[in-house]
Amino acid sequence: MQIPLLPNRSCAVAVVVAAAWLALAGAVCADTTAHRAEVPVEQFTLDNGMTFLLVQRPQMTTVAAGWVAKVGSANERPGITGLSHFFEHMMFKGSRVIGTTDITRDLAIQAEQEAVQERMREIYAEQRLRWRRGQIADPYAPENRTEELKELAQRFAKLVEEQRALMVKEEFSKLYTEAGGTGLNAGTDYDMTFYFITVPANKLELWFWLESDRLASPVFRDFYAERDVVHEERRLRTESTPTGKFEELFDSLFWQSHPYGWPVVGWPSDLQVISQADADAYYATYYAPNNLTVALVGNFEPAVVRRLAERYFGRLQRGKVPPPEVVTLEMPQLAEKRMLAECDCQPQVEVRYHTVPFEHADSYALDVLSALLNGRTGRLYKSLVLGEQVAVSAMAYQESRKWAGYFSFQAEAKGEATPARLEEAWYAELAKLQNEPVQALELEKVKNQIAAGAFRRLDSNFFLMLQLLLYEGYGDWTYLNTWAEKTLAVTAEDVQRVAKQYFAPENRSVALYRRKAGAPPAAPMPPGFDELSPNLQQMVRAQLRQLAAVNDPEVLRASATAIGSQVASAPPELRPAMQVILTAIELRLAELLAAAPGGEK
Amino acid sequence: MNRFRPFVAALLLLVVAGAASAAERIPAHPRDLTFGPLAFEVPDPAAYRHDLPGGGTAFVVEDHALPLVRIALTLRTGGFLEAPGEEGLAGLTATMLRRGGAGELSAEAFDERLDFLATNLSVMAGPTSTTVMLDCLSPRLDESLDLLFAMLTAPRFDAERLAVEKGNVREQLARRNDDAAEILQREWSWLLYGPAHPAARQMTAAGLEALGRDALVRFHRATYRPAHLIAAVAGDVEAASVLASLARRLAAWKADGPEIPWPPAAPEPRAEPGLYRVEKEIPQGKVVIGQLGVRWERWDDPGRYALMVMNEILGGDFTSRITQRVRSDEGLAYSAGSSYDIGIFWPGSFTISYESKSATVALAAKISLEEIARIRTEEVSEAELRQAKSSFIDSFPRRFETPFLIARTFANDVLIDRPHTYWRDYRDRIRAVDAAAVREAAARHLDPERMLMLVVGDWAAIAPGDADGRASMGELFGGAARELPLRDPLTLEPRP
Repeated sequence: MQIPLLPNRSCAVAVVVAAAWLALAGAVCADTTAHRAEVPVEQFTLDNGMTFLLVQRPQMTTVAAGWVAKVGSANERPGITGLSHFFEHMMFKGSRVIGTTDITRDLAIQAEQEAVQERMREIYAEQRLRWRRGQIADPYAPENRTEELKELAQRFAKLVEEQRALMVKEEFSKLYTEAGGTGLNAGTDYDMTFYFITVPANKLELWFWLESDRLASPVFRDFYAERDVVHEERRLRTESTPTGKFEELFDSLFWQSHPYGWPVVGWPSDLQVISQADADAYYATYYAPNNLTVALVGNFEPAVVRRLAERYFGRLQRGKVPPPEVVTLEMPQLAEKRMLAECDCQPQVEVRYHTVPFEHADSYALDVLSALLNGRTGRLYKSLVLGEQVAVSAMAYQESRKWAGYFSFQAEAKGEATPARLEEAWYAELAKLQNEPVQALELEKVKNQIAAGAFRRLDSNFFLMLQLLLYEGYGDWTYLNTWAEKTLAVTAEDVQRVAKQYFAPENRSVALYRRKAGAPPAAPMPPGFDELSPNLQQMVRAQLRQLAAVNDPEVLRASATAIGSQVASAPPELRPAMQVILTAIELRLAELLAAAPGGEK
Repeated sequence: MNRFRPFVAALLLLVVAGAASAAERIPAHPRDLTFGPLAFEVPDPAAYRHDLPGGGTAFVVEDHALPLVRIALTLRTGGFLEAPGEEGLAGLTATMLRRGGAGELSAEAFDERLDFLATNLSVMAGPTSTTVMLDCLSPRLDESLDLLFAMLTAPRFDAERLAVEKGNVREQLARRNDDAAEILQREWSWLLYGPAHPAARQMTAAGLEALGRDALVRFHRATYRPAHLIAAVAGDVEAASVLASLARRLAAWKADGPEIPWPPAAPEPRAEPGLYRVEKEIPQGKVVIGQLGVRWERWDDPGRYALMVMNEILGGDFTSRITQRVRSDEGLAYSAGSSYDIGIFWPGSFTISYESKSATVALAAKISLEEIARIRTEEVSEAELRQAKSSFIDSFPRRFETPFLIARTFANDVLIDRPHTYWRDYRDRIRAVDAAAVREAAARHLDPERMLMLVVGDWAAIAPGDADGRASMGELFGGAARELPLRDPLTLEPRP
């Protein structure tokens, strides 16, 4: 297929538009027929079902190499949420050959570890019962551990220590790094998990060795320590970011029946009890070669790659059962849903609609619709940022996942504008798209960008490899070569039709974010504070904040005595500050004692 | 894709895949694999280098695979030319250059025209230079360059657009405390460099308010010059034609006034060692440990390469000591590592960064400091040294992997006065680093006495340390933490 840079009718259409545009339209009609935006991909499949996609780039010194497992959080179930992502971490822990000096002993220790963890899981069942009865506040908190749990934790720690003595830490990563591999990493999504790196072209066989080895005989070492890393990742990405926790909540609100409703990183309580047995069963089903696709982009001989593929990946056994589909369909939404969140964030809004999945015939028109809205000359920027000046930024996108999709509008408020005001502004823009066909020139501009984008996305080896994996993860890599043509075929009528079809009020979910009111006004400063120099005020403020955290009157009294005894010998300029702190301690003591049941004895 | 590409000649490869000759048997361990050589020659800058009128330099690398052209024009203007009280002027001028219209075109018409051409044009001001980036389809190059040069030479700085932009910037200022990572970054750069240094300057709302259109016009007039301009061009162009096109436009660019002072000057930073903290209610502590580093003018000094290898082993990548102990062994952090940024115009910095749940912030710090002490006193193992060196050497060709990278790498040499021979000798200089040199680099450039630690998080939960009593904040940096008050995001004054 050849993608003309501009659709053939572009000149004719543009010329009839207002005179001011005539000069412009003429210039854009130069063509680039010498170039094709189609990627020549060589494809083959091994007997075990593993598929290979090859793109040769002989001028490069490297190969961007990756593979995708067509499994993500949507394939999980309650109880094992987060397992797909956890797997991604475990795949770097080695194999029977990589990562240990003594595989026999290593496996024996792992079996012992598993037995200890199994007993811990039994006790955690009892702990959850105690929690349900209200006897403890958190079934997994260290302070609520039973004696047996403590003892098991110690035994487990010893086993970890013993195993670590045999481990060759991060051997997998080291072998790549030492060979000049760069960008070793992996990613997990709702629909897929992918693993990638760029290697020097002469070291491609190392990639075949290491990747086929970790698939042929994976050993999930450090299974339980890695769980802590995942907990940190969750804290980093979800809990410590201004809106992370609420985005997670909104996802769960938006999806009623579909497994897209739980987070890729999983629920923390599931992570606590995931077992190696869960992991093994999952692996056998979803990491079988018939569920995997490789993409290689760079400098190699295809014939050599075929031989290597058969030798290294040919040893993998086809899965006993084909990976099951996700069969739960999202229930049609019957009523609008709304979430009102307060966070340390710019007031903002998201309005989201259920639309269509990957490669649905309407996904292309929805892509065009979002392109009309986005960018510095897009409708949202023009109306919300420049025109009404109620937003700092505004954007829209169609997300077409493998099993279902949605369309999202998002904007951040400016000045006194409320999130509700942004929501209204969006409905006004939407109404225009529903009521008036898009002008030819505006559509033309968007299509010019789509045509240029079809070239730009082929520029980088690494990015091309990722796109092949991504589209294959959604179910069809050829989308890379068909997307532009189908998108360029979208008409103004198509855009208007989808705008009318998918954006009904009962099909939307709305998230409104307000800035959390500041911390309650600080307690008035003790007498004498205002007279202190700014430096001393700062010092006193810091002390007062620490004081506020002390709840034990004895500690306060001891501090007061200590400070009191130092006042006389302190430098004169510090004395007033110490007096202020002493006063504050007295006030704090009085406050504590008043709050204590029965008052002071 | 069949047309001959000049840059291919420079990268002529002789890939002898080990696979071709190996028996159909899988070696027991990857170390048993044998690899053919990766024949790679560093591209010759002379093949791409050209003079521009006004003392400028261009690097043009042709590549006709796709109908795309990328151009980066780097100018000697940026934050270092801002007067005190004008923090942010360089950035705002750059933004409005692109957004405020140019020549005959209003702001709206300028944007519309670029979008219609599917041309991406941007201007980015940094502390020591400003770069204009153009990315367009090759048939649109001429008109895109017209727009680019209209923008550089006849910007309109539309007053209404400026008002909108200033309103938006003010909103960005207002949310500077929302994300703990941003607080960490700001306070850290102030601790190291002080608020007046170009590497650390921050705008206040009042300062922004005071920046009017006249200030932008003045800054543009005084600091945007065709002299010493450096162009990196790559893609579907003929070198002679694009050079003539640039030369013609540069010759028409009239700008007078005094020479731009070069290299950029900055006050000498002075950082006070110790432990600092900022209070923020989050379930993790976000941490930086580090110190001011060195400024190195000589690019051939063996010590520079030893320092790079040292950092690589200490915390440079996923397999480094700090990452392994903090993340892999202990599960204390999702990311933990170090970097040693060798300064060009002023002293750089050494930093260890990680985030960890409150209770284990101290433990991760203790481990990091142990690793600093170890690499200063003990020689690294041969295996570590080999791995670190080969990771630099074997990944080196990637620096020249695309035509645009070749052009930009050489263009950057000109900007920072780095001899092109740096690249020719790079791998040999890395090869020459030995364990003694690594230890010496660590002993000389990592100084626990000069280090600072900054923690953003919930101090009451962080200070006591972990439940097992392995580390508490009291045992680090003499035990006393100086609290840095959270600043008002608009004024940057300490909040009451």
